[in-house]
Amino acid sequence: MRISNSQIRIVSLLLVFYYIIMAWLLHRSGYEHSESLFYAEKLKLLFEYKENTLLTLGTTYPSTFFIGSIVFSPFGYLFAPIATSIVMMSVLYFFMVKDINDSNLPIKTLFICITILFFLHPMFIFSAVSGRNVAGIMLFFYMLFRSLFNYYKSQTTYYLSLASIYLTGLIFTEINFLWMLLSFFPFVMLISIEGIKVSKEEPFVFQYFQALNNRSLRRKLANRTVALYLILFLLPLGAVYLFRTLNAAHAGDATYFLTSQYANWRVTGTTALNTILEGVNGSNISMQTQIIFQTFTVFLAPLFILSLILFRGKLYELFTILTPLIFFSIILVDVKYYFTVEYYIIINLIGIAALTFFGAERFGKKLTPILLVGTTVLSLFAGVYYFNETNDQEEQDFLSSLTKVEQVFEPKKSSELQQVADYVATVATNKTPVLIDDASAFGIVAHLQTLDGLVLPMQKSFVTVIENPVLTAQYIVVAKRNNRLHNFTVLNAYNIGIMKERLKLSTYRVFETNNWIIYSIR
Amino acid sequence: MFTTGKLQQIEQIAEEFDYANIKAALNFGFLTRKDYVSFLDRAGFPLIDVRNEVIDESFVEQCDLIQLNAYLFLPIRNDGKGNLIVAAADPLDEKLQSTLEIKFNLKVKFVAASDLDITWMVHKLRGEFFVKEAVFSLMKKDPDSSGLITFTDAQLVFIFFFIALSLALLTINFVNIFIFFNLFFSGFFLFAILFKLYIALKGSRYELQETVTKAELKLIENDSLPVYTILLPVYKEDKLIRKLIWNLRSLDYPRGKLDVKLLIEEDDDKTLNAVRNLDFPANFETIVVPFHMPKTKPKACNYGLFYCKGKYLTIYDAEDVPDSDQLKKVVCLFRKLPKDYIVLQGALNYFNKNENVLTRMFTLEYSYWFDYMLPGLQSLDVPIPLGGTSNHFKLDKLRELGGWDPFNVTEDADLGLRVFEKRYKVGVVNSTTLEEANNEPFNWIRQRSRWIKGYMQTTLVHMRNPVKLVGKIGWRGFFGFNFFVSFTPITFLLYPVLLSFYAVYLIFDLQSVKILFPDWVLYISIFNFIAGNTLMIYINMLAVFKRRYYELILFAMLNPFYWLMHSIAAYKGLWQLIYKPFYWEKTNHGLTKVSHSASAAAAVAAVENANKE
Repeated sequence: MRISNSQIRIVSLLLVFYYIIMAWLLHRSGYEHSESLFYAEKLKLLFEYKENTLLTLGTTYPSTFFIGSIVFSPFGYLFAPIATSIVMMSVLYFFMVKDINDSNLPIKTLFICITILFFLHPMFIFSAVSGRNVAGIMLFFYMLFRSLFNYYKSQTTYYLSLASIYLTGLIFTEINFLWMLLSFFPFVMLISIEGIKVSKEEPFVFQYFQALNNRSLRRKLANRTVALYLILFLLPLGAVYLFRTLNAAHAGDATYFLTSQYANWRVTGTTALNTILEGVNGSNISMQTQIIFQTFTVFLAPLFILSLILFRGKLYELFTILTPLIFFSIILVDVKYYFTVEYYIIINLIGIAALTFFGAERFGKKLTPILLVGTTVLSLFAGVYYFNETNDQEEQDFLSSLTKVEQVFEPKKSSELQQVADYVATVATNKTPVLIDDASAFGIVAHLQTLDGLVLPMQKSFVTVIENPVLTAQYIVVAKRNNRLHNFTVLNAYNIGIMKERLKLSTYRVFETNNWIIYSIR
Repeated sequence: MFTTGKLQQIEQIAEEFDYANIKAALNFGFLTRKDYVSFLDRAGFPLIDVRNEVIDESFVEQCDLIQLNAYLFLPIRNDGKGNLIVAAADPLDEKLQSTLEIKFNLKVKFVAASDLDITWMVHKLRGEFFVKEAVFSLMKKDPDSSGLITFTDAQLVFIFFFIALSLALLTINFVNIFIFFNLFFSGFFLFAILFKLYIALKGSRYELQETVTKAELKLIENDSLPVYTILLPVYKEDKLIRKLIWNLRSLDYPRGKLDVKLLIEEDDDKTLNAVRNLDFPANFETIVVPFHMPKTKPKACNYGLFYCKGKYLTIYDAEDVPDSDQLKKVVCLFRKLPKDYIVLQGALNYFNKNENVLTRMFTLEYSYWFDYMLPGLQSLDVPIPLGGTSNHFKLDKLRELGGWDPFNVTEDADLGLRVFEKRYKVGVVNSTTLEEANNEPFNWIRQRSRWIKGYMQTTLVHMRNPVKLVGKIGWRGFFGFNFFVSFTPITFLLYPVLLSFYAVYLIFDLQSVKILFPDWVLYISIFNFIAGNTLMIYINMLAVFKRRYYELILFAMLNPFYWLMHSIAAYKGLWQLIYKPFYWEKTNHGLTKVSHSASAAAAVAAVENANKE
């Protein structure tokens, strides 16, 4: 049985509707992911603010996801990142199901398994409806490995070039994947020997022995290896170089897109390991050490384990499947923040890809489908387990928010940021401007209908206003000491204290939530 | 002189081609000219120098050139005793003698003359009509496609209006108009490169596709093969004649079915003498192209067309080394393809690729063009600019198209478009011809300036009426043509301009320059410039994979410098387009010190291995 393109399209479309409903449920529960709000705020600045458009457009990172969000911005700035992730997930679903048509495993069972994962696996749902760039990572990651596997089958440079383009896309979705270039070294070395005329019946080691001990073959092997590296790596490295140059030219810092909280959500959005360690609750960050982390990710992806059991292929194909684990070893060398869902879900993806491309019915026609469905169901439990165990606050809130059935019948809840934004909207006018720093308050700005009456860091006058706010602003939005983003903004409780002393500033608290205070200063 | 078997073969060929036996013997590899001369000498027929004889043209005018050329005779004059003296390559040909006696009603007395001298004389004396046809027939038949007029009035008005408008706008608002042009050109530059990348990627999908397989070739029976014409236009290529013969001999095609024409210009005694002095049998017929301007390769080919006998026709340069099975592959593919495919383009590559940096860059360029771009273009069904050689035509269709445009210095690219205009198609055959890569920078620039000038000419010819062109080839064809023919010279002309803008900004930290590069302009310029160059390097890198020229990949990094050489050639071509539009900038061949045989074998083996794996 083959699954036709039209059938896949119909299910992909159903998936879009399903994710929209899920997103709506989350929205009603008041759940908002900060990364999604970050993009929403940048979109608002891009379209509704005249100054520094280039800086917003040209340095906001990750670029692929942000550009995707621009496409969906007519549907609303807050919804655009979510729409982007939903569409990316359904495109991913389309390609994954399309690929199983050529698989050696039972197509129908694979189709059911993949569909179950996309509809029910918490990590997949989170990736689709949270508005994070995880969907982008998943899409580019899968397309990259799909291209490599197609290259192994067809040996045409076309797929190698596509792999290079997707690798670029992946790096521009999450910069950490730049380190994956290093993890590609082993399998590229092994592919190189494939094109060299040596006895193919011999084990790889002996093939290498032959190739390296013959002058002509040695030269060929070296040239082919370099050629493969270049064709895979030139585009991603060239693109990163270009982006750094653009950042240097326009922001005065080549790494602005990585280090500025105005350009990259990760600067404020990731949770430092120290912060988790300082917390009183138990944590699973001990998992984030060499070998243990890889084992844990594999444990949470039973399909990956099954793919290794059912694997039938060549050594370099196996090495390619193991690439993400090597990649983890590299990024764990210097890890400072907590790894979230994207690092776990890619193991599921590579597992499915490995099953599709290299899976073989080792246990007969009856047992294989049972194994596939069984591990898929186990994966669902692993997904629930992950969200129960995660140390990331926003991930912890996700599953509980989504599973509250009663919220459908209750009035919509407003998030804290929404409440602050509602207050700002009532007071901000051009005569009574509100001083706000979107380095940390991007979530508040994202919820505002208009930017009129705000003094933001993008404005040239911002520095002057900070020096003596009373001359220009009527209100200041301040991050409280317990605010997670307290240290990322100049408008925080600590600085306000200094300001009060230095300028003899009279402040009147006009609105307050758990993390924010709005002062009137005139 | 010949065994009975050989004699039968000669007579069979002579009959099939309607040639004199001596012509078949001399041109199909049965007899060396030295043996032929000594035989005549022994038979009491010393050769006369027919080129220095006083000729009574009234007799010549009564003869048909095709017949003179085929039977190798030339009436000289009446000797005053009632005898007509006729120079003949075979003075023992009694049949010819009686035919001529009936024709002229005079007793014919043969004197022996070299076949080459007779050929030279008959074409000089009787070739005027054909050479004029070769030059002007396309212009008479399809004046819109002829490049005789370089710039039409409307084009001149448009160009000068555009220049005047640009200058006026620059005078009114220099900064904004400068920014506009800068952005427009750099955007154009990037777009053109992105399109090239897209086509190259499309083409790379067909990397291992074999349009004709070895199994299919094996099924072809030699008896079923048609006569195949090979045109070899040469000019002062005396050093390459020996190589040429060996290359032709290695072709796997029945000898009696190869109609090979060596087209020599009237003033090219060097090549003629090289043919004369060969000490082994030649396997081509020499055609002498009478003097007529413009002295171009397409004119020579058009002239040669009148004498062709094949069903199919191809062109090779003197130094070309085609795959031995190329002609059979073409026949096989033509049989497989629909009838509207009238041209098949073979891949070109170089046998001296590792000679120096320039030959390496050239090899990369040709590899990406023929191995990736052409299959990509074919898959998109847009006009394919044909390569200079190894394009195989259906002869009747080529004649129907009016042959090549003698005024166009890239007549091949022009013909590719004309094929498309007439709703015919160009295919790509999986066979390679190895050529000699230009290894000398000035020679390279000469050659490239002609190519780029030809692209400009082709653009000017076919864009005389863009609306009409869209009607003929559709929007897709229109964009395809403009991207690959029109935009190519523009990109090369723009490259140094954009480079200098960027350099001025980076090197001179001048306030006045900064005005011309506001933030967003600088952003876009940097993006286009770096992305454009990186992508071009990348496309060149792709080129190494099909033929496994992995050792060349790092040289792709030098592409920006290679482009600068293109730019020099482009400006030279532009200059010549204005001052000497029909001037054929001759490329010197035979400069390489590399023997093609080893490289050729290596290249063929590489492709075969790639296909096997």
